[in-house]
Amino acid sequence: MSQKIRQIVEQILIASNIFIVFLLLFENKWVVPVWLQSVGRMHPLLLHFPIVILLMAMAMEFFRFKTTYAANDFYRIFLNNLLLVGILSAALTVIMGLFLSQEPGYAGDVLQWHKWSGVGIVFLVSLIYWCRNSHWYKAPIAKTATVLASICVVLAGHFGATLTHGADFIAEPLTKSAPVSLENALVFANVIQPIFEQKCVRCHNSDKTKGELMLTTEQSILKGGKTGLFLVAGKPEISLFLQRIHLPTDDKKHMPPLGQAQLNPQEIALLSLWVKGNADFKKKVTDLPTNDSLRLLATTLFLPMLTEAYDFEAADDETIKKLNNEYRTIAPLARESPGLSVNFYNKNTYNAQNLAELSAIKTQVVSLNLAKMPITDAELKSLAIFENLQKLNLNFTNITGNGLKELINLKQLKSLSLSGNKLIFKDLQIQIKAFEQLKTVAIWNTTLRDSEIEQLQKESKNIQFIAGFKDDGRNPIQLNPPQLKNSSPIFGQSLAVQLSHPIRGVQIRYTTDGSEPDSLKSPLFNNQTTIYENTTIRTKAYKTGWFGSREATFGLYKSSYKPDSVALLTRLNDVHQAMGAATFFDRQLGTWEPNSTIWANNWAGVRNNDLVLVSTFKTPILLSSVALRIMEETGAGIFPPESVEIWAGANKNSAKLLTTIKPSVPTKSRPHWLYAVEGKFKPQSISYLKIVAKPLQKIPDWHYSKGNKALLLVDEMFLK
Amino acid sequence: MEKEILEHGLHFNRRRFLSNMSLGLGSVALGSLMIPNLLNGGDVDEAGFVPGVPHFAPKAKRVIYLFQNGAPSQLETFDFKPKLCEMMGMDLPPSVRGVQRLTGMTANQASFPLAPSFTNFKQYGQSGAWMSDLLPYTSKIADDICIIRSMFTEAINHDPALTFLQTGSQQGNRPSMGSWLSYGLGNENKNLPDFTVLLSRGIGNGQGVYSKLWANGFLDSIHQGVQFSKGEDPVLYLRDPEGMNRQERREMLDNLSELNQLSYDKFGDPEITAKVKQYEMAYRMQTAVPEVMDLSKEPDDIVKLYGPDCLVPGTFAANCLLARKLSENGVRFVQLYHQGWDQHGNLPFEITSQAKDVDQASAALVTDLKQRGLLDETLVIWGGEFGRTCYSQGTLTEKYYGRDHHPRCFSIWMAGGGIKPGMVYGETDELGYNVVKNPVHVHDFQATVLNQLGLNHEKLIFKHLGRRYRLTDISGKVVRDIIS
Repeated sequence: MSQKIRQIVEQILIASNIFIVFLLLFENKWVVPVWLQSVGRMHPLLLHFPIVILLMAMAMEFFRFKTTYAANDFYRIFLNNLLLVGILSAALTVIMGLFLSQEPGYAGDVLQWHKWSGVGIVFLVSLIYWCRNSHWYKAPIAKTATVLASICVVLAGHFGATLTHGADFIAEPLTKSAPVSLENALVFANVIQPIFEQKCVRCHNSDKTKGELMLTTEQSILKGGKTGLFLVAGKPEISLFLQRIHLPTDDKKHMPPLGQAQLNPQEIALLSLWVKGNADFKKKVTDLPTNDSLRLLATTLFLPMLTEAYDFEAADDETIKKLNNEYRTIAPLARESPGLSVNFYNKNTYNAQNLAELSAIKTQVVSLNLAKMPITDAELKSLAIFENLQKLNLNFTNITGNGLKELINLKQLKSLSLSGNKLIFKDLQIQIKAFEQLKTVAIWNTTLRDSEIEQLQKESKNIQFIAGFKDDGRNPIQLNPPQLKNSSPIFGQSLAVQLSHPIRGVQIRYTTDGSEPDSLKSPLFNNQTTIYENTTIRTKAYKTGWFGSREATFGLYKSSYKPDSVALLTRLNDVHQAMGAATFFDRQLGTWEPNSTIWANNWAGVRNNDLVLVSTFKTPILLSSVALRIMEETGAGIFPPESVEIWAGANKNSAKLLTTIKPSVPTKSRPHWLYAVEGKFKPQSISYLKIVAKPLQKIPDWHYSKGNKALLLVDEMFLK
Repeated sequence: MEKEILEHGLHFNRRRFLSNMSLGLGSVALGSLMIPNLLNGGDVDEAGFVPGVPHFAPKAKRVIYLFQNGAPSQLETFDFKPKLCEMMGMDLPPSVRGVQRLTGMTANQASFPLAPSFTNFKQYGQSGAWMSDLLPYTSKIADDICIIRSMFTEAINHDPALTFLQTGSQQGNRPSMGSWLSYGLGNENKNLPDFTVLLSRGIGNGQGVYSKLWANGFLDSIHQGVQFSKGEDPVLYLRDPEGMNRQERREMLDNLSELNQLSYDKFGDPEITAKVKQYEMAYRMQTAVPEVMDLSKEPDDIVKLYGPDCLVPGTFAANCLLARKLSENGVRFVQLYHQGWDQHGNLPFEITSQAKDVDQASAALVTDLKQRGLLDETLVIWGGEFGRTCYSQGTLTEKYYGRDHHPRCFSIWMAGGGIKPGMVYGETDELGYNVVKNPVHVHDFQATVLNQLGLNHEKLIFKHLGRRYRLTDISGKVVRDIIS
């Protein structure tokens, strides 16, 4: 800087100092013209420059008398200029600040502190500037003065920040009290009051009661201030504070005053809705109706913390990737969460090495699932490295409980699953108490007795022991019926009956004489039963600790002959085609199960025409009986046939009518029923057989569909 | 003038260009600092969604959905309406019915006689939840479940309603809920599919279920539901051909993968490695699936807990037991469908046996998960596609009546997975026709399920045909009241 310029700048500096003194002296007398207001508002813009420049200049001034620096020309000139620029910018900032402080909304102790510390800097540093070349100005004075000035800078900065951001701005994240959960939240205390605290209480508290209004307690809020009542319950539009809030921001009476942190639209909405809902001070948020606007808005304030914060670093992505394999899955708990969850699968591929490899991520594992892996108590030692483990699943492993002592360093452990292990009570009793954070322990299907579980629960009240379901035999339930395992219930000459039951240790009792089976008298099924004729087997299952099953009845049909060719002479219904002509001798019975494939595949049906089936035999057979297995389901209009004619002979031309079956027509609605209608005749040798089944032509009068033709469904035919 | 031209010329030099460029690059770099992954491209889309990792820490890791297909009547299960007894046979006031459209089955009925439940209700558990006598086992776990009585849907017929619940749209072709979860959460056990389906049916009036309900829609086909059937081959085409042993299969796969590697080196098509991976997964499934399907090692207590039918393949009880085993083995979403709840007529008879089919095993599943310490990370859902009318379809007597479809309210329950236990949520009017408190739309329900799995339903999106799709379409809000 040339001498000339420096002189001009110094002149300006003196002028600024004088101007500041003037402004301070006549603080209450002058008014900021509108065009200067903008200049004042540039205060926050400029203030960072003097802070930095001055701090730097003060540091240099502090060391100025060091011989190396004192001799350095650049140091000297640079420092002088730096100081000058710093002071000038500080002076400018102070002037702007003084302008700004004249605007409404700035008052209070903090402002005073800020103002005077700011002004103090300007004068102190100016003083340094003017005196620093005097002969008495030596290192000690320089050091004292610069330290003092630096402190002033820091203080002024701090007070300024407090004005803008509020007193607790920096410490806020640390001092925040535990969040309230939605169900405990009160409308006033947890929703409304925090808004007041953030935006209003700074000026309306017991220390500083602007407008004689205090917004700290229910009473003081209801009392109101100098201008009148604060609010009118139920009437937001005439509530004074809401009116003030809604005034234009440049209105003198607007609240919060211009320059202070303003209410955001959501806060204004919350306040209005609260007043509209009678400004209640007691209600819980959840007491409000769910569609209430206040509740909906307030609820968003209480969303739970989405992801638990961990204080450890995330593991390296590559490491995780490398450790992941088909039988060991490692996944982050969530995006950006360092916590990992590890699952092991397939006990055949497991070995202790798999676990040891995880040491690279030992800090990050918070959930570990080792269910069914062959882990022994000794191996639990290798789990001790997972210091942040919260959830450990050891169901159906090989541990007894003694090894838990290896885990006591797992301070975070909250959930432990030990179901399906041969636990030793004494070991568990001793070890489990060491876990302070433990909340739940699953011990279902272990060797622990009820009394032992009770004792565990009594001794560790903070832990919930989940004993699960144990069959004490006091609530027997009914068994399900036995099943027939033969591939077909239709046989040629004889059938070795195969009955079975899915549950271990069940006894199957059966009868073949039509009587009801019982648990004492009926024979026990032992896989030795062979039948030679049509038989109805009635069975029931029994087991101690269970009620006997319902009865299962199996119709076993003998069909001695299978035709060599079969042909249908008439059409089947479109939807009851089954397997066509092959349906009747395929040894597959239909069942009653609407909409199932079995229903569709095994039942052939006619309604509008007769069912005419022709079959031939290469070698003549001795026939004495023909039976058709049919379905009766009157509810769906499925009836037995009107008649079935059996024609037979050596060939087509010599065939004679052997018999006509006329099944009885149901006289009332009854549940579905599957049965065979049979026609018997004198045994005779035949090679050609024609069966003509005529559907019921007129459904009886009691039926809703009376007079119409009925549907005839046939799934199998038996020839003897 | 000459000077300006000269200056202009000087502006177009190399230094100028580079310095301008660096400014441009600098701002791009700055921008990339503020938008992570801006320059990575790849698997992150505009919403910042990474498939396979939850958005935030999930409460539930897995879901078992016990779908009661055909729509069980809420009035005979969870929604107790004593007023209906007083008003039996009286006509449903038109003011209550409002503008609700009816199905073709009752639209022409001359009157809508109010039908009370044939069965009794009692209160159970700490919450005093009302449950009918048809649910003796479910009532025992009242303190473990959260009953929502205020579900409502938009569809009035089975297929659209079912499709709506499962895919978020009444028309087909969208991914099913399980597919979305598979897409959003990825694989837990690499030896089993993420999404499996089990079917069963009761004796009641049945409605079909179709594979479109567990289809992947526009998502990658690896997210499709895999149906496990009850026969000898639970997963089709998994078995080795006859005469091939495990060792030969291994060698065959090794050789095949070598060949595939050659062809990958040549063409670089990622589908080739994908295929190799699928072969390997099928190979691992060959051992994993039989192990899961084997119920013979289950302790006797388990048989008693689920009921004896749990050892009869294809029953609801067996499917519940299987669902637990699959879920325990890391299958993200196990979807059960139990058919036969469509009681238009003869409701008292049919619903009794339907309830008997599912009651014990449903409750057992919750108990079983709990006793293994798995209930807190497994979300169990029980419910149908809509509710049933408070008036009778057809003849009404005390022991014989039917109920038509009713979308305006129905009841479901959820358990585990961070859902509040022992809670009853929502209320219907005293005739059980309209929701009067805390309504839960199907999309709200879906949003809540996704939320429990750590997924933000507004961010779980997939861009298809130029539009971004969500399970909850363009609505749905998480029902925070039922989350613990």
